[in-house]
Amino acid sequence: MSLASNPTPKSREGSLLLPAVRLTVWRELGQVLQREHVMGYLLVLPAVLLLVGLVAYPFIIALWLSLTDAYVGRGGDFIGLRNFLTLFMEDDIFRQTLRNSILFTTSAVAIKTVLGLSLALLLAQNLRLKRLIRGAVLLPWVIPTALSTLGWLWMFDSLYSVINWTLLRLGVIDKGLQWLGTPHLAMIAVITVNVWRGLPFYAITLLAGLMSINPELYEAAESDGADAWARFRYITLPLLRPVLAVVILFSTILTFADFNIVYVLTRGGPVNSTHLFATFAYQAGLQAGKIGEGSAIALFMFPVLAVIVYLQLHYARREI
Amino acid sequence: MNQLTRRQFIGSATAGLAGILAFRVPPAIAQKREVTMLGWSHFVPESDAKLKQLLEKFAREVNVGARSDHVPNVQLATKQAAEVQTKAGHDLMMFYNEQTWRYRDHLVDLDDVVGELNKKYGTDIYPFCKEAFFINGHWKALESIWPAIPGNYLQSKFRQVGEGPPDTWADVLRAGKKLKKIGHPVGIQISHCIDAHTTFWSIAWCFGAKVLEADGKTIAINSPKMAEVIEYYKELYSDAMEPEVLSWDDAGNNRCLNAGRCAWIHNPVSPYAVAIDKKLPIADDINHHSTPAGPAGRFFAPNARGYGIWKFSKNVELAKDLLRFLFREDNLREWIQAGNGFNHPMWRYWEKHPVWNTDPKLRLLPAEGVFGRMRGWPASPSDVIGVIDDLYILPDMVAKAIGGMSTKDAMAWGTDQVKRILATMR
Repeated sequence: MSLASNPTPKSREGSLLLPAVRLTVWRELGQVLQREHVMGYLLVLPAVLLLVGLVAYPFIIALWLSLTDAYVGRGGDFIGLRNFLTLFMEDDIFRQTLRNSILFTTSAVAIKTVLGLSLALLLAQNLRLKRLIRGAVLLPWVIPTALSTLGWLWMFDSLYSVINWTLLRLGVIDKGLQWLGTPHLAMIAVITVNVWRGLPFYAITLLAGLMSINPELYEAAESDGADAWARFRYITLPLLRPVLAVVILFSTILTFADFNIVYVLTRGGPVNSTHLFATFAYQAGLQAGKIGEGSAIALFMFPVLAVIVYLQLHYARREI
Repeated sequence: MNQLTRRQFIGSATAGLAGILAFRVPPAIAQKREVTMLGWSHFVPESDAKLKQLLEKFAREVNVGARSDHVPNVQLATKQAAEVQTKAGHDLMMFYNEQTWRYRDHLVDLDDVVGELNKKYGTDIYPFCKEAFFINGHWKALESIWPAIPGNYLQSKFRQVGEGPPDTWADVLRAGKKLKKIGHPVGIQISHCIDAHTTFWSIAWCFGAKVLEADGKTIAINSPKMAEVIEYYKELYSDAMEPEVLSWDDAGNNRCLNAGRCAWIHNPVSPYAVAIDKKLPIADDINHHSTPAGPAGRFFAPNARGYGIWKFSKNVELAKDLLRFLFREDNLREWIQAGNGFNHPMWRYWEKHPVWNTDPKLRLLPAEGVFGRMRGWPASPSDVIGVIDDLYILPDMVAKAIGGMSTKDAMAWGTDQVKRILATMR
């Protein structure tokens, strides 16, 4: 007869105690989890792990690469800030990229702000087929950018441009415009597509902001004799300002770091007149294999964006 | 039948996964080997379709999986960079021009494969192919395509302006001026694409201009010959082309010719091949002539493409077998045929292939090989030449001059850019 089949009093006692021990462990664990700061950290942990793995780690690697002369497939030597200095001091394509990025971002964000606010005010009205229109407005935001930009590529094509066809038929021009072959027209083209793409984000977010404004404020203003402009100036705009600040913040970041639109439409041309940081970093780092320099170009965006984020969050917090 | 409980399922799955991770051996059911390759999306789609068929045939013969993925030409460089940085991806990779040099340390030597094929096809290999793929005494990639780059022209338009097929770049300019007046300009890319380099190098050599001296270190842009090249481009752009050439991608000139708008382009025969394939009426009108000559001779810059095997591949021998299979005479003959004159292997042995001897419009192509030079010539291919091309320095230099910068300043700009590249490359 085995020991297992004839348990000693001690082992029998142990097996009786086991569920009780388990229960105690679970109870203690439950008590620990009920402490707010423990539970809080636990809930945040997955997000922190994701941020470390997908943002912090690549960022540190990029930072390291930007301080080296790494070439694709080969390690690089530490060269300090030489990449940054030579780019800024000696590389006129980089300086042009900087100018392009500022022009592209400020123009696109300004246009999106004005048009987005107008669209939001329009959508806030009691229109017929309101829901359908609101859904349709979101379409440019929903379609994958690379795909929709291909559609725009055909619209700006030198041979088959539907825009040129329309302008020619309307008698606005007498010869097709070279949208993507002329530097300033190419910049207008990429800004146009960016505005088209980003407008729904503005409109829908600002619409949500508009919906949260208490209608009684408008009624009170109306009874005091305020006209539409006064109501917009003294009620809508001040109350919408925090939402507007956040929308502009996000849009500035996304526009500044845009890649798809420029890459599909112009690949940075003609003569680098539409290169943005992302497309130039891609060209130098991945196409030409100068990974160190490419990382430095990409990281030039970081301080600019950090300042924008700080200023706008500071402003938004003060407003809220 | 016993039902599997949730607990048993999770236990078994975890144990199985742990086993796979620990021993790095997948279960037998998933162990069928697969050899993979990544290449471009061919301008003649029939060629990729034939490659797929050949891979299926290989898979049946060897009882393995075989797959070819394709990306647009401009994305190949990015894919190569991503695969080499992560040491993961396809077994075989397509490289063109200086790319084999860039990744030479990461590629398996193919001396044995080329040696075997040389026994069959001989050692008479186009020099520029050897220069591109035979690096430091070893074959690093097996050339599969070097397309000749003749003049592609619409015969009817040239007849209309009283011109014959141009023999020199001066002829192209003269005819182009007349052609533009009747609404059918010349089309040469001056933009961020590979064709823009191809024609730039070709014109530069024909005028006797260089970018680097033979030592690969001395910059030679700032010269009277290069000034002539830029002046030629300026005149061609203003009098024989439309501004659209500043925005074109690699297919821009093909589309322009096949749409019947452009009367002359400098390109491989893909527009004609596509026109034949799609039964476009323009196919009858398209013809080809030898790449134009200049005061210094007749030269062009072929895009020599080949497949190499990554050192990190787990299927090196299988990948070599695949290359042996694809370059076996019966298979290679079919592959060349499918390219409709575009796919030209590196052995002159293949000049006798019927694809170049049945259609009179393609007959000139094999002989073009003698005019081919690798980009950078007289310098050898190098990382520096690759970066000059990948940053589009040369088309941008021309575009700046076209945009109003003086020729002297444009050359100074190009010189500065190349100087910076030389200074930052080890």
